[in-house]
Amino acid sequence: MNQTPPNPARRRLLNATGMAALAAASGRLLAQTTPRPLLIVSSWEISGLSPAASGYIFTRLQVTETLLGSRDDGTPEPALAGRWQVSADGLEWRFELRPGARFHDGSPVSAQAVLHSLERVRTPPGLLATVPIRSMDAPDGKTLRIRLRSPFVLLGSVLAHSSTMILAPASFDAKGTVREVIGSGPYRVAKLEAPHQVETRVSEYYDSPRPAIGAVRYMAAGRAETRALMAESGQADLAWNLDPASITRLRSRNAVGISSVTLPRTLAVSLNAGIPGLSDVRVRRALSLSIDRAGISRALLREQDLAATQLMPPTLAGWHEPSLPPLTRDPATAARLMREAGWTASPAGWRDAKGQLLELRLQTFPDRPELPVLAAALQAQWREAGFAVKVSIGNSGDIPLAHRDGSLQMGLAARNYAMLPDPTGTLAQDFAPNGGDWGPAGWSSPIVSDALQKLLRGGLTPDEQRAERRRILLALQQELPVIPVCWVRAHVAVNRRLEGVRLDPLERSFRLTEMRWKA
Amino acid sequence: MSPRHLLHWRGVLLRRALQIVALLLIIGSASFLMVRSLPGDMAMRVAASRYGYDFVGQAAAGAVSQALQLQRPLWQAWLDWFSDLLRLDLGESLVSGEPVWHEIAHHLGASIDLAVVTLLLAVLIGLPLGIAAAWRPGGLADRFMLLFAVTLRATPAFLLGILLMLLLAVHWGVLPAAHDDQGGTLWLPALTLALGLAAGLARISCSALREALASPACEFARSKGLTDLQVLIRHAFRLAALPVLAYLGVHLVLLVEGTVVVESLFAWPGLGHALVHAVFARDVPVIQGAALSLGLVFILFNLLLDTLMLAIDPRQRKPGASDA
Amino acid sequence: MPDQQTSPFIHRTGFGLLLLVGAFALAGPALVGVDPAAQSLGDSLLPPDARHWLGTDVFGRSVLARLAQAAQRSLGLALLAALSAALPGVLAGVCASWCGGRIERALVMLADACMAVPGLLLVMLFAAMAPGHYWALYAGLALSLWVEYFRMARAASRPVLHGDAVQASRLLGFGRRYILRHHVLPALAPLLATLLPLSVAQAVLALAALGFIGVGLQPPTAELGVMMIEFFPFYSEAPWLIAAPVTLLVFLVLGMMLLAGNKEHT
Repeated sequence: MNQTPPNPARRRLLNATGMAALAAASGRLLAQTTPRPLLIVSSWEISGLSPAASGYIFTRLQVTETLLGSRDDGTPEPALAGRWQVSADGLEWRFELRPGARFHDGSPVSAQAVLHSLERVRTPPGLLATVPIRSMDAPDGKTLRIRLRSPFVLLGSVLAHSSTMILAPASFDAKGTVREVIGSGPYRVAKLEAPHQVETRVSEYYDSPRPAIGAVRYMAAGRAETRALMAESGQADLAWNLDPASITRLRSRNAVGISSVTLPRTLAVSLNAGIPGLSDVRVRRALSLSIDRAGISRALLREQDLAATQLMPPTLAGWHEPSLPPLTRDPATAARLMREAGWTASPAGWRDAKGQLLELRLQTFPDRPELPVLAAALQAQWREAGFAVKVSIGNSGDIPLAHRDGSLQMGLAARNYAMLPDPTGTLAQDFAPNGGDWGPAGWSSPIVSDALQKLLRGGLTPDEQRAERRRILLALQQELPVIPVCWVRAHVAVNRRLEGVRLDPLERSFRLTEMRWKA
Repeated sequence: MSPRHLLHWRGVLLRRALQIVALLLIIGSASFLMVRSLPGDMAMRVAASRYGYDFVGQAAAGAVSQALQLQRPLWQAWLDWFSDLLRLDLGESLVSGEPVWHEIAHHLGASIDLAVVTLLLAVLIGLPLGIAAAWRPGGLADRFMLLFAVTLRATPAFLLGILLMLLLAVHWGVLPAAHDDQGGTLWLPALTLALGLAAGLARISCSALREALASPACEFARSKGLTDLQVLIRHAFRLAALPVLAYLGVHLVLLVEGTVVVESLFAWPGLGHALVHAVFARDVPVIQGAALSLGLVFILFNLLLDTLMLAIDPRQRKPGASDA
Repeated sequence: MPDQQTSPFIHRTGFGLLLLVGAFALAGPALVGVDPAAQSLGDSLLPPDARHWLGTDVFGRSVLARLAQAAQRSLGLALLAALSAALPGVLAGVCASWCGGRIERALVMLADACMAVPGLLLVMLFAAMAPGHYWALYAGLALSLWVEYFRMARAASRPVLHGDAVQASRLLGFGRRYILRHHVLPALAPLLATLLPLSVAQAVLALAALGFIGVGLQPPTAELGVMMIEFFPFYSEAPWLIAAPVTLLVFLVLGMMLLAGNKEHT
């Protein structure tokens, strides 16, 4: 054999490479000894720094504040603006800023700074773009004035939305792009590694009592199983967006606490009432009557009480109408309605007078893991009732897109009716006569439009408000342009050492300042 | 260095350089095709990723379309991208607006850490097992190796990952379950990937060693009066090293594929994870960037193996021997 | 080259296992006779019993019926992909070592180029273009698998083609077809027999990985990979669910390894 003698230099080189690789990796291999911050894990990634993109993460982490806040029922409350007034004609709003408020770079939160920040978010898709603003100015250092072209009662809600969060002037570069998140909340960003994580510390400049939790780390982890195991192993202190199977498992293992809150979010099927089959209200009702909501709630969502009897859950007090006849399952009535509407049953499904088969397509997306599962269940239940439905799982943009090009037939989504704290805004968008992105297509109702207009114009007494809301809910329940399936409950796994965890039904804040470690 | 040696080096480098060019072309064309055949509307897709499912809609899509000049003709976008690529500029992420290099650099470091530790773990687990199995055919180690290999071949990486998480993070509490920047989080994903690789490595090193031990060289050494152990250490290892390295060269690709699944399971901020997200978001510049970097890492690792093989075996220094 | 230690018994066991899996895939759906898509939310997550041999999934569907359908579909897709990768791969490999010279170099270069792009990446790009469609997965898989066959066929046919037997045949005036059938094919057949099940298993796992990252086939399609993803969240509550598709794969891989003997092909 003609082997060369081992070359010592080459050996050393190889060794050195190995050591260097180990040394490079060791930063991630060895545990560090700094005190552990509160670790939050959820599925939301920080996709960008602009307020419309990931603003909600920074408001939830209480890094940034909005001018107004919101109570759990959706009514506005003071936040960065300590007080606000609306003129009698509803055209002029004045906001007085909290006197001691300072940004994390030490600069005071002046009316000019707020104006600068709000001017940057007046472009779509920021919600401020939907407000009929005539002008915004700062009459003095601590007052902001917004003049409107027409009364817009939702301005308070818009100014509580994360897309209008207030950033320090130093956050923006010359082109108006956000380069750094400098807010005015109790926590400041200490380290940001988009899209995965952000670390925060208590801000030295915050003007209210110091929160008990001094440091927070927020992580995005894509899989629910990962988040559940992070919570169970004690690595994560708060784990958001857990799936039903993980919740069941965590409950039975009892290693962590579970906090829950029913959200103003509904798993519902938006219909295109403009296409032949679905334009008949009897067909829409038959579709609704074929759904086993209780079964879905129990078997798939693993909850006893989430079957939607109407659009809004009971927790959304102002918008839940107990007097409405509940949505139920009744296959016999469904079949009768279909026959009355002129359809005949065949092995392949319902056929119209010309023998044309009623074939429907249900679109949904996997961003919320329960949606594809629900779609599969709906498909099977509808098939049992004679409806031939094809499921198509795409991207969350597909439903608004199908809306735009008119190809939507049925779209299953988990619609958040409290995107603005006041559900009127989302309802007005969804049930507008020409159809919103997520509402029904090809459907309009003079009653609903009229009631929504009145609510948007404002100036109603609480009783009148209740009556208008009832008109809307009743019309939606009878016409079923959107078929509610189930309500949504959020579950959070909580470290047993942590107390003061109170979930926000409007998903606006993690409420970190109320938490503390048990002694 | 001898001229022959140099010639061989040139061959190796040329081969890898060709691969890099091919990589550029294939990924580039695939991305181009992707843009062309996107199901659904690109602006809407990007908007969905940028603004989340609660917020996506026509207003958001309009804003995206305007900001990204998506109305440009395709060929123009393609030419722009290619000329940028030649200047090593990958453009900006459609979703975050950050330069792609900036994003990729962040992920690349994490991926290389993962790959290096995985390789080391795989060698540490696989080689001793393979040697033990070769040492006594039909023995305990041999049987265990078969079981090990079959189970791992049939277990999807995500299942293995969850089992390891359950065992090491939840039950024993010795390692953190997923990445959180606190340190120690590399072990679990690396172990998940390494086990799969180690199973193959054990089998290949076992059969290579057996072949080596039965080779004339080793027979001769034994006849010189060396003990079995001496034969193993002095001759067989060297002979068996080549097939083992060749195996690694081919199956490193498993590492790349594994990272895509394992990184998203362990929330490891590497290239695979970035790639998956970019595919969802239709963030074409990031897809290109991530796919190119993954391919480059793969080719560079292979180059490293080429070097190792050359260093170990002089017989390899014949032109044309390495592409077999 | 069969290993000396492998006994015929082990070979036969391996072959039997593969046959069993194949038979289940072919005849399973008919034998089970239950609609794999029939849901019954009241029977959600039942453990295995006399009525549902493998229990039920979260929708109350029979896991056995779904497994049978999935075995048919996934093994079919994987086998199709593996075969359509094997055919051109082997042909190109034999052609390369037969022709040599420029053609061989060109083919090797092509293979190298394909090797530069990791297979899953290729499948992912394809699948992302047409999510949930069979053809995209199939094309991606086939494109990523052929290189292995090319390398194998080229390496294995070279010594045969340059060997004495072929030289003798040529001298005796036998044509190409004869040489291919009587010399090259017998040398390749055992290697193919071990590589094929391996790439089928690899393809099934690749499908599962794609499902995991959300670009594979979509539920409610019964497919082994999709099933693993669907059952995965219930790993602690109903471990028998995820055990079913994984066991099927274990049988497949075990059968293949026993058949191949104690030898790994690179």
